[in-house]
Amino acid sequence: MMGLLEWILDLLLSPWLFVPLIYPGLISAFAVLLFIIWFERKLAAKVQLRYGPLYVLKRLGGAIQLVADLLRYLFAEPIVPDQADRLAFIFGPILLFASSYIAAIAIPISYDFYAFRSEISLLVVLGLNTLAPAFNLVIGWGSNNKFGLIGGLREGFLITADEIPMFVSALAMAVLYGTMDLVRMVELQSEWLWGIALNPLAAVTFFVLMLLSTSRFPFEIVEAESEIVMGPFTEYSGILYGLTMGASYVKLYVLSLLFAILFLGGWEPLPPLEFPGSWLILPGAVLFLKALVIMCLSVFMRAVYPRYRIDQALRLAWHYLFPASILSVFLSLLVLSGWSI
Amino acid sequence: MTDRRWSSPVFRLKGHLDAILTGAKYLITPRATVRYPEEVIELPEGYRGFIEYKKDICISCGLCATVCPANAMKMYVERAAEPGEEAPAEEVKPKRYPGINYTRCIFCGFCVDVCPTGALEHVETHDVAYEDFNSMIYPPGEFAAGPPKPEFDTPPRRLRPTMDERRGIAYEPAD
Ligand code: SF4
Ligand code: SF4
Repeated sequence: MMGLLEWILDLLLSPWLFVPLIYPGLISAFAVLLFIIWFERKLAAKVQLRYGPLYVLKRLGGAIQLVADLLRYLFAEPIVPDQADRLAFIFGPILLFASSYIAAIAIPISYDFYAFRSEISLLVVLGLNTLAPAFNLVIGWGSNNKFGLIGGLREGFLITADEIPMFVSALAMAVLYGTMDLVRMVELQSEWLWGIALNPLAAVTFFVLMLLSTSRFPFEIVEAESEIVMGPFTEYSGILYGLTMGASYVKLYVLSLLFAILFLGGWEPLPPLEFPGSWLILPGAVLFLKALVIMCLSVFMRAVYPRYRIDQALRLAWHYLFPASILSVFLSLLVLSGWSI
Repeated sequence: MTDRRWSSPVFRLKGHLDAILTGAKYLITPRATVRYPEEVIELPEGYRGFIEYKKDICISCGLCATVCPANAMKMYVERAAEPGEEAPAEEVKPKRYPGINYTRCIFCGFCVDVCPTGALEHVETHDVAYEDFNSMIYPPGEFAAGPPKPEFDTPPRRLRPTMDERRGIAYEPAD
């Protein structure tokens, strides 16, 4: 009996299962989802001098509001419209959610704990992350609805506008560190300085593009509730809708983890603590906290900004962020040459 | 864009920073709303809530039903019983009395203003939950029985809104 338990524990703690399933994968993604959506509503409420969610578990300020919402989504009937493309309609949200979180598998959580280490793990994360918006297009097309189509098209416009500068500004960091291996990047940052101090331009660009690609405010253009209802997700109800809503937050979570590794020194510096399992828990916790701060900052934007029009967002991306990302590559080279002198 | 300075990216960047700082400032400003079912605010005089109907001074003129913009007030034909009698006697002529449908009423107060005898009056109540639409319709008899009262699980704290120079709106205990 003990043997079996140990075997299961061993299996769970092996990186190939722990990373995709527990942290930073599925389970922690769900936990983050529950927290961050509540936090976003609470923060927006506070800035607007209201209370926000309060009555589900009142002592903690309505902290499990999202559990209640999730239960409601679970028990609501997912309606599939007659005219919709059934296959695309049903599998779209599932694949959207899955592809939003799949990039987490390539994210290391300490020097020796990762499911996947490679010379190009940065590219793997970025590349897998680009998958998700494609399913927004599928959903928008498949639901056979004007708003869905418009939302899908907007997503189409935005993919190119946000992914290209995002790749470039992330690669600026790769140029700076001279590697695309995320583990090595953290190692180098602990020797030099945090990436955000070495190349602040890339950090700012990456952050804004993160907002843009996960449709946080002020770029909530694809859903745009007040113009096109919910964009691609207009026809959705029940748990399928829940998945579409969660997907962008999960993407935000993965990108925040990446941001923490690229610019904020990953799991360094570790607090000098020793307890059983600390080799696994501490680095993960530090990384998680950094990512959480980034996420909180991104959802704070909702309370501050109204929504950009799509042309404004495209202009911002192509006129300012794209040149800025290219400039950040040069900045990296400059820092690098300054370093070697 | 009337202000030409907005064409400068630096000025716009400063605008973004200002916006975020303003948001941060409001994050630590005290809230302006109250926790409704536990705390209620005292309403100002002349607040237009539910309507109280005094049947004994109503002259059945029908003006309230005529003026109502939402068709919420409606005249019902009724034979009223004499005071002290159970049912109206056969020979009593039917009369018209107003009844109200709160599913339609917009609380504009026109009926209160137009009533020549002051038989209609607003009360402060504005927060009553109904289980179905039918119970929101009050024929003359029930209308005359008085406006509905809100039900609270625990008696709420009453707060009085005051103007505060710095914060705008503030609350103080009403009693
Ligand atoms: S308050 Fe206005 S809407 Fe309501 S019954 Fe009177 S006249 Fe009609
Ligand atoms: S309530 Fe007033 S306005 Fe309406 S019928 Fe009676 S007297 Fe006339």
